[in-house]
Amino acid sequence: MSMKVRALAGVLVLGILTTACATVKPWQRGMLADSCMVFDADSATAYMTHWQEAREGSMGGFGVQGGGCGCK
Amino acid sequence: MATSALLLAAAGYNWAQNQLDVSFHAFQDSRGVTVLSPDANFTKDFTDRTSVKLKFGVDAISAASDSCARCHSDGATNGRFVGSANITRKYGDTKVTGGAEFSRELFYQATTVLASVSRDLNNANTTVAGGFAFSLNQPQLHPGPTVESQQSYDAYGSVTQSWTKRTVTQVGYEINQVNGYQTNPFLRTTLNGVMTVGNSPDARTRHALSARLRQALPAETFFEADYRRYHDTWSVDSNAFSLGLSHHFGPRIVGGGSWRHYAQSGAYFYQPEYTGSPTYFTGDFRLFPFDSNSVTGRFEITPKAGLLMMPAGSTLALQYERYRATTGFEAGIFTGGVRIPLK
Amino acid sequence: MTRHLAGALILASLLGASLVAAPKDSLITDAPDITLTAISGKTMRIADLKGQVVLLDFWASWCIPCRKSFPEVDALHRELQPKGLAVIAVNVDEQQKNAYTFLEKYPHTMTIAFDPKGAVAAAFKLEAMPSTMIVDRSGHIRFTHQGYTEKTIGQFRSEVLQLLAENQ
Repeated sequence: MSMKVRALAGVLVLGILTTACATVKPWQRGMLADSCMVFDADSATAYMTHWQEAREGSMGGFGVQGGGCGCK
Repeated sequence: MATSALLLAAAGYNWAQNQLDVSFHAFQDSRGVTVLSPDANFTKDFTDRTSVKLKFGVDAISAASDSCARCHSDGATNGRFVGSANITRKYGDTKVTGGAEFSRELFYQATTVLASVSRDLNNANTTVAGGFAFSLNQPQLHPGPTVESQQSYDAYGSVTQSWTKRTVTQVGYEINQVNGYQTNPFLRTTLNGVMTVGNSPDARTRHALSARLRQALPAETFFEADYRRYHDTWSVDSNAFSLGLSHHFGPRIVGGGSWRHYAQSGAYFYQPEYTGSPTYFTGDFRLFPFDSNSVTGRFEITPKAGLLMMPAGSTLALQYERYRATTGFEAGIFTGGVRIPLK
Repeated sequence: MTRHLAGALILASLLGASLVAAPKDSLITDAPDITLTAISGKTMRIADLKGQVVLLDFWASWCIPCRKSFPEVDALHRELQPKGLAVIAVNVDEQQKNAYTFLEKYPHTMTIAFDPKGAVAAAFKLEAMPSTMIVDRSGHIRFTHQGYTEKTIGQFRSEVLQLLAENQ
């Protein structure tokens, strides 16, 4: 299996394994819902990513969504 | 390159948060390029399970770089328009997003379609997400009329995990395959003493692996750390590392700062200047080896009575970034924006 | 070939991860006999409310759907309290000052209770925020709602009216 497929498989296996972790209860997510704790919360971050990718030779790799208040 | 930023923008972090986010970005760099970019992001729930996100932005780009100055001694101007629409539908703990983006400027047009899925598990302590985007990019070889094309296929996967009430991490992986014309038609290098537009390979596979941490500290202070490792088949390897702190100064003001270090190797066909008959050669600064450091400061205020004519709960956000690379390139980027909650 | 394998792995993970999620506890049917502390400082036991239909709405200042649900639930309280509905809005903010900031923005008449340590939320085995439990006159939890959308308040109303009509 090539290196890149191993890396992808590793990320996804980690995801499956972590689903078995009982962690934060729904009513305990107040701190996690803070805007300072959320990934990529605003358009300033999106713009910074946009111009960095236009200026540098690299791109991407960051995921999206997840964390936050977990509200339904 | 644009696809990963688009996938980022398509995602909303909070379901049920209807808002209008209007920002103004001002970019100026040491090459003499100035970009003024207003953009607006509108997010609204249309049913209890469907949310729409629309984005519209305009870049007014003016450049006095060497490449433009060859023919345009007084500098040159360009305008770029970008619009995107994303729809997210919720099925229990699963969200499915579909969207498209179109951007156009003088000598370049890009069309992107994307789809992504995310699922919350374990009482929203774990979120698994994945997506795919396809872009058709069409540069025109100015000053000639020829239009080339490039196809980009992009896929990503990420896992976000809340470990404690104060700790959340995210790991992500992205792969991008670009086929077609990839030479920058505006940037020139020296080939046998003559300034010449480069020639890059027609295929490039790009990988990026990231890990991020957000940690709540005592006294309403928050720590963030991001790392990304990148590698591609042109032998550009890079590491990007950033650290930041933010703090709530009371219930209405947030201030913070961050530092980012970036280091990349050059493409295997990079040389400062070329002789003979190389197959590939480039003047594209994005393929040069360099390091960079940037520092960013930001400030947000949510006044009790609202902002000017805007409703209570509106937030004014200001951010300034200073970027400096070992190539001598420097840039300053200012962003000012307003987030207006909608009912 | 590698791209197809990567895509298949992403899809398999998203589908397969749901199958190994932690098993859920079975929902309780009797409202737990627990003490709540109201904003006035007065304590009350859920058991003391037998004979009334009780709507328990768990909310927090950081819960965005709660900004919609809170005023709607308060309106329901004003409408149906004369007919025998008791509404208790249970706040789960760990820092009460955040709850007070929220309450300043949202005038209300229903009873507000504080649960900063999450004892009441744990007793009711909340699975999401916001959550709403509707308890009948005999102390049995008859309806449980997780989350809040535009349609939810209509469901609360019809369920409360159904329970108010029972055992009259």
